[in-house]
Amino acid sequence: TIIDEQGMPLPGVSIIIENTQTGTETDFDGNYSIKAKPENVLIFSFLGLKTVKQTVGKKTTINVSMISDNQLEEVVIVGFGKQSKRTVTDNIASLTSKDLNNIPISNLQGALTGKAAGVQIQQINGKVEGGVKMRIRGVSTISSSQEPLYVIDGMPLINDDESVSDAPMNPLISLNPNDIESIQILKDASSAAIYGARGTNGVVLITTKQGKSGKTKISVNSSYGWSEATNTVKFLNAEQYIELFTEASANSYGADDLWLTEPGGYFDDMANGLDWRTGEVDTDWTDYALVNGSVQDHSFSISGGDEKTVFYVSGAYNNTEGIVRGNSLERYSYRGNLDHKVSDKFRIGLNSSLSKTQISRIGTDNSFSTPLQAIAQSPLNPAYLDDGVTPNNESTIYYNFLMQEYNGSWDVNITRAIMNTFAQYDFTPDLSFRTEIGYDSNNQLDEYFAGSLTESASTNGYADATSIQSDKYNINNYFTYQKSFNTSNLEVVAGMSFEESSRKRQYVAGTGFPSDELQTVESASEITAGSSSRTKYNFLSYFSRATFSLYDKYLLKGSIRYDGSSRFGADNRYGIFPAASVGWILSEEDFLKNSNTVSSLKLRGSYGITGNAGIGNFASLGLYSGNAYNKTSSLSPSQLANSDLKWERTTQVDVGIDFGFLNNKITGEVDYYVKTTNDLLLNEPVPGTSGWSSITRNVGSMQNSGFEFVLNTTNVTTSNFTWNSSLNLSTLKNEVTKLPNGDIVAERNLVREGETISSFYLVEYAGVDPDNGDALFYTNTTNADGTLDKTKTNVYSDAERIVTGNPYPTLMAGFTNNLSYRNFDFSFTFQGEWGASIYNEGGKFQSGNARYEDNQTVDQMNRWQNPGDITDVPQARMYSTNGQQASTRYLEKSDFIRLRNLSLGYTIPRNVTQKFSVDRLRIYFTGVNLLTFTDYTGYDPESTYDNYGNSSIQKGIAFYSAPPAKTFTLGLNIDL
Amino acid sequence: CNDNLNIEPEQYLSTEVVISNSENLSKVLNNAYNDARSSSSYGGSIAIASELIADDGDLWWNGTYVDPGEFIEKAMLSDNGFVESIWMNGYDIINQANIILGNSSVYADEDEKQTAEAEAKFLRAMVYFDLARLFSKPYTNGIQNTQLGVPLVFTAVLDPKNIDYPTRNTLEEVYTQVIADLTDAYDLLPSSNGVYATKYSAAALLARVYLQMGDYTNARDMANEVITNSGASLTNSFSGAFNNDENSEEDLLAWQVTSQDASSNYLNLFFAGSDFGGRSGNPDIDVEDQHYEIYDDSNDQRANFFYEAKYWCTTKWQYQFGNIPFIRLAEMYLIRAESNFRLTTTVGDTPVNDINILRNRSTASTFNSVDLDIILMERKRELSFEGFALFDAKRLGNNIGTISYDANQLVLPIPLRETDANTNLEQNPGY
Repeated sequence: TIIDEQGMPLPGVSIIIENTQTGTETDFDGNYSIKAKPENVLIFSFLGLKTVKQTVGKKTTINVSMISDNQLEEVVIVGFGKQSKRTVTDNIASLTSKDLNNIPISNLQGALTGKAAGVQIQQINGKVEGGVKMRIRGVSTISSSQEPLYVIDGMPLINDDESVSDAPMNPLISLNPNDIESIQILKDASSAAIYGARGTNGVVLITTKQGKSGKTKISVNSSYGWSEATNTVKFLNAEQYIELFTEASANSYGADDLWLTEPGGYFDDMANGLDWRTGEVDTDWTDYALVNGSVQDHSFSISGGDEKTVFYVSGAYNNTEGIVRGNSLERYSYRGNLDHKVSDKFRIGLNSSLSKTQISRIGTDNSFSTPLQAIAQSPLNPAYLDDGVTPNNESTIYYNFLMQEYNGSWDVNITRAIMNTFAQYDFTPDLSFRTEIGYDSNNQLDEYFAGSLTESASTNGYADATSIQSDKYNINNYFTYQKSFNTSNLEVVAGMSFEESSRKRQYVAGTGFPSDELQTVESASEITAGSSSRTKYNFLSYFSRATFSLYDKYLLKGSIRYDGSSRFGADNRYGIFPAASVGWILSEEDFLKNSNTVSSLKLRGSYGITGNAGIGNFASLGLYSGNAYNKTSSLSPSQLANSDLKWERTTQVDVGIDFGFLNNKITGEVDYYVKTTNDLLLNEPVPGTSGWSSITRNVGSMQNSGFEFVLNTTNVTTSNFTWNSSLNLSTLKNEVTKLPNGDIVAERNLVREGETISSFYLVEYAGVDPDNGDALFYTNTTNADGTLDKTKTNVYSDAERIVTGNPYPTLMAGFTNNLSYRNFDFSFTFQGEWGASIYNEGGKFQSGNARYEDNQTVDQMNRWQNPGDITDVPQARMYSTNGQQASTRYLEKSDFIRLRNLSLGYTIPRNVTQKFSVDRLRIYFTGVNLLTFTDYTGYDPESTYDNYGNSSIQKGIAFYSAPPAKTFTLGLNIDL
Repeated sequence: CNDNLNIEPEQYLSTEVVISNSENLSKVLNNAYNDARSSSSYGGSIAIASELIADDGDLWWNGTYVDPGEFIEKAMLSDNGFVESIWMNGYDIINQANIILGNSSVYADEDEKQTAEAEAKFLRAMVYFDLARLFSKPYTNGIQNTQLGVPLVFTAVLDPKNIDYPTRNTLEEVYTQVIADLTDAYDLLPSSNGVYATKYSAAALLARVYLQMGDYTNARDMANEVITNSGASLTNSFSGAFNNDENSEEDLLAWQVTSQDASSNYLNLFFAGSDFGGRSGNPDIDVEDQHYEIYDDSNDQRANFFYEAKYWCTTKWQYQFGNIPFIRLAEMYLIRAESNFRLTTTVGDTPVNDINILRNRSTASTFNSVDLDIILMERKRELSFEGFALFDAKRLGNNIGTISYDANQLVLPIPLRETDANTNLEQNPGY
């Protein structure tokens, strides 16, 4: 009989005779039987428990008590190897498949939200393929890449946004989250420095699932869900619209001017034949733009193996219909992982995956064809013509987005193949050599068509096709030497890595189509544009790491990486990135060893240097590109040379404590870090009088610092009821510490010495003059004593801009609870962010007291009307500016707490399911973004303008940005 | 492995290769024309700014863009995107002209060198002239115009070390430079030069500059030089002067637009109905009833050069891929007529004959005599929607509604990004 720590029988334990393929498994009562010879060794294994080996000998009954793999004995993946969590001296956030499973989100980053301290994950807005920003310990760079390095099974992934529009797409959208076994986020420099020049933004190590020897296991997961927008904003109905705009016109042109309301007037125009006077038309455009979505996710996996070979094969299908009309995603994915021992000394393996993703895209937030811009249309505009089918594009204020769905399409097809193969040879038990070859291929085809009724009417339709082939191959070769002495352990890793990335792109566009049925460029009467291009970059690196522990309590680690990249000038091509860390396991000392309270205690400290090379492939060169005038070739200056360009370097210091109390019922980590980036890579704006707008330079410094706090508690463990909690909190302070050439202003955002990067820089709104309804602003000129003059003025140009808030939260928290009671399991995660603000760039149109004919948010009904009125909304004056200028009027705090996900499951008792040969059958409900608590009045505190998705300075701007989905899912897990 | 780190760009040439070879340098010159044609400059933004800011009821802005809306409201903000792109693209053209002028020693052929330099000067002067007209208070003849102009930059920036932070020159200095460059261009350019600037393009632009300055003698003489010697002639009908794939016989310089240049023609994008390449829904800029009052003869082709696309549009910019006339011979007749009238001379021909030549071409009845008002009204009939409105208002001292012709709000703000990037630049009053 096999029992667990509590003495309960363990069903499903795999038992294998070493070096054979013979094996069995325990039954429901924990019993098993197997035929074996006395010299055989039995291997007992079970997920989450320590594997046990027993020689058979003369015994006929072998009872085993298996103990759990203590959390501190957990193994974490580090770059080029793994390490026991107990002896790790770095700050690494570790997540397992348990944290990710069954969250019905089509992108893997989304499932990580709120789970790791110091990691902010934000999908730009509610479009399904939308870019996701992961910021690990803040933003440590201004103009170069802010994205972490993603490494899957040892292979750096292609992570280039290949969107053909300004709105980024998530490059990892083609990965199936169900295949992930674990994710480690390397946060401090000591852990990330092994990735040298690309470690500054942190490293995300993804490990995919492997089979386990024993009985072949088949798992099936199937779920179906519904979704809707987390929030909508109320706009004026027809009656309110008529009231407000009639008043606005009267204020501008006098009450006698009836151009809006007279027969044949503008309102009649808008209503396109319907009678707005009798309420015949009252269109709620939000209802057309934001729709009910759905999510389907089906996957299966088959895994197993014997002593020599293990395998994992999976297939999955995901179909997400977005909440923004016309936006959807469909993904088919496959994975096959194989690991084989050729001999005791020689191992080979292959991890391969293939996926095909189809996305129906919609316009960027800054296009009339994007659904959410429909909220700008008047409620007097009918959505459709009389036939009820053809979208009304005759009388809408703006292009009617429904036309795009009716008479156009935009489809993206992505095929992605990732292959990793490795061979490992153990020369001696101490010394091994591993070689890894990885290949990542991302092929994308983008096809766009706009028919004869769309914005491309004048050319009788428009179509284009863009094809991208992106390839990356990577070779790692390294030795690992591991030796245990009496009182100490030593591990040394040394090796090299080479990586080459190339990208090819072809594009063709045409106009003039004989019919709207013919939608490919082949049918175009004229080819209006075309191009093809090739580019490449590579990295050559050498690295080494030594880990040493003495008496199993004094820990020491040092690493060094030497990186070269084609991206930098010939004189600055190489960089050296060293790191060191120390640890002291106090709980191993005599004075604590027998403590009943303190079960583990470790002090850590680390220091390291990482780099950032996330700039253009040829950023150091002076470049001219081909162009044309009158179909004759020309050369266009496109980049100023800067041969001094070099790596951006980040130095990070981290001190931390890992603790465990009461037999590790309470565990946690506290960290403080300071991250200083020097030689900031900066696209510095230069005076336009030079003929240039910006150049890439190394200037300036920036610092991020913060506390991170993680607390895991086991609140209840009884045989029927368990309850675990995990809380993480992190603070972040960002400051630009040096900017020699002065401020960089990018519209609303400012980079200034002494301030947080991307701080908002705006004129301060001072409300409304009660006497005349004028919008007022604080002048904020600086007085002689350095204070700001708070005089109010109605002359906008007399008011100075001030720094007022920033787009990054200063405090983030996540709180996860896992409960199980008998066959029920229940878990939920709350997540919160505090300290950030959002500026609504669309505010002047949406909440602009009827300056433009755009529909207005209902709060604009509180406009100033009569002398003495006290309100924040200025007098409505049609076509005349009164408070719509950029100011803090459109800036809002975006603090929020959100019930990020919740799941409730029930597992049918095993004795029932076994009758149908089913090991486990679980039905569950999952919800995402079910509740949001915020004072933010815009669409969503996490939705921002996707046109700025790739801007590193312009952050925290909203512009017709769709809210994320709130999703309800029902699902089924079956294990055979 | 080290060699693997040397990767050459496949879509770009390096600065050294470009400036050391005359063929490549000529392609930079060609690109300067391309940038001049772009929507940010002569492909529309400058003309639209002029027409909308000077509008007093002839036009209406239906469009959704905020920036032109600020023009017609005469309430520009310093972050106006059109204003920024006019400035940025203007200096981009100037820099390319300076690249030619600073490296022209690589031309082996003296004639080629001379032509390239003269074209570069032509383009540079053209841009400075329009920047000065947009970003400065009006020029007054006969006094030193010490009001702020725009920064004059003569050195090509090929290396970040050459970037400097200039202050604004006076308007007088800018005009002096414009005249000097254009005079060189007039002296050195050939009389025919394909679709590029010729001797007579330079003479015609000089006529325009002198007129703006109130120097009627030089304006008259240059206009007369063009009419007499350029070989250009008026098209047979008014419509023949517009919406052409190839330059018409009256174009002294036109910006070339081909089907490869979709959406680079803002005049079309904003003035045309959506069936003709204009923005969706309606013409963003429609022509209101008030405008039609300027036509005195219903047979005048110009009075009928409109079409309906929800609202009324000018037919001048009806063709998305048509060339954009920059200087038409018709303007020279108008300059000569006005200058002769003001100077009471008849160089070339009498004012009444010059005016009647234009009226004949458009099948309008002719005049027996003209006065200044008639000449200026004829100018409006001929040149409406081509970007003259604001500059004529400032030149003639015509107020726009109740706004004085020299008011702060009729001068563009120096772009905010520019005063942010260069604190030496003084902002215009009122911003």
